[in-house]
Amino acid sequence: MNTPFRLDDHPRRPHPLSAPPAGYFEQLPRRVMARVQPAEDAAPALGWLTRLPLPLRTALASTLLLGGFAASLILSVTPTSASATLAAVPQEELVQYLLANDARVTLADLADLSAAAPTTASYLHASPEELQRALDAQPTDDSYL
Amino acid sequence: MEDQEILAKFADPASRNLAFNQLVRKYQQRVYWHVRKMVVDHQDADDLTQDTFVKVWKNLENFRQDASLFTWIYRIATNECLNFLSSKRRKFFLPLNDVGAELLAKAEADPGVLSGDEVEQKLQKAILRLPDKQRLVFNLKYYEDMTYEQMAEVTGTSVGALKASYHHAVKKIEQYVNNQSAND
Repeated sequence: MNTPFRLDDHPRRPHPLSAPPAGYFEQLPRRVMARVQPAEDAAPALGWLTRLPLPLRTALASTLLLGGFAASLILSVTPTSASATLAAVPQEELVQYLLANDARVTLADLADLSAAAPTTASYLHASPEELQRALDAQPTDDSYL
Repeated sequence: MEDQEILAKFADPASRNLAFNQLVRKYQQRVYWHVRKMVVDHQDADDLTQDTFVKVWKNLENFRQDASLFTWIYRIATNECLNFLSSKRRKFFLPLNDVGAELLAKAEADPGVLSGDEVEQKLQKAILRLPDKQRLVFNLKYYEDMTYEQMAEVTGTSVGALKASYHHAVKKIEQYVNNQSAND
């Protein structure tokens, strides 16, 4: 009959599995150092950030975030002036638009036109005085005047 | 280089790399074999050993020295192993026994295990059939020859619980080897 197995009687093998590849332990320190070094080398550029106290870093990050948000908001909503936008549209296109569109140019629109504006003279072929006379000739019950 | 000297040099940025290199050289074999016995596969052990030392590098400044450096490093390595094994189960939806079977298959194909005698091969199979944490306790006591106090620092478990766990592990192993021998 076999003697029952007792762990204490069994010779202990410190490393029962196969050895790692030859030279493994010579290379391992270099490989580990290579993994920890890049993080250290990258640090100097922004290293001063890591030395700041945590509340200051949080405040700085918040300020940058808010500043970025505000800047993007301002840049996105800054309007180019209406007159500049209109000036960029070729005059022929404006005429075509007005002719094709159902919208009517009312007397009120004409009254709003600046007499000095070159478009008035170019397209209405009327001098400021002629325009004024035309306006004055309108019935006074035109409440919109 | 003594641990205290390594820690002192590590605290100085000028000698930090040198100190850490010395630390890796001093503990690499123990860490590697501790990890290797848990995961069996060399490639996995290599990854986990490196991960362990990277974590040591990141946290060594905060090491409070209320434990020894050696048990602190073992603790990190142990956590890496246990996390690896449990994430493997989660990743592949494997029940406990299937990961054990995978480890067993790797061990059975390992030339080191195959080079042992018949009883040794049965012993290795018996060890790999233990649950992860009990296998960890067994390895630390049987192979690393740690005191229960050191094991308590590594595992965060009480000395009494560790003694009971090791006792049960030995009984299970002896029973398995004897059953296998009886069936031959």
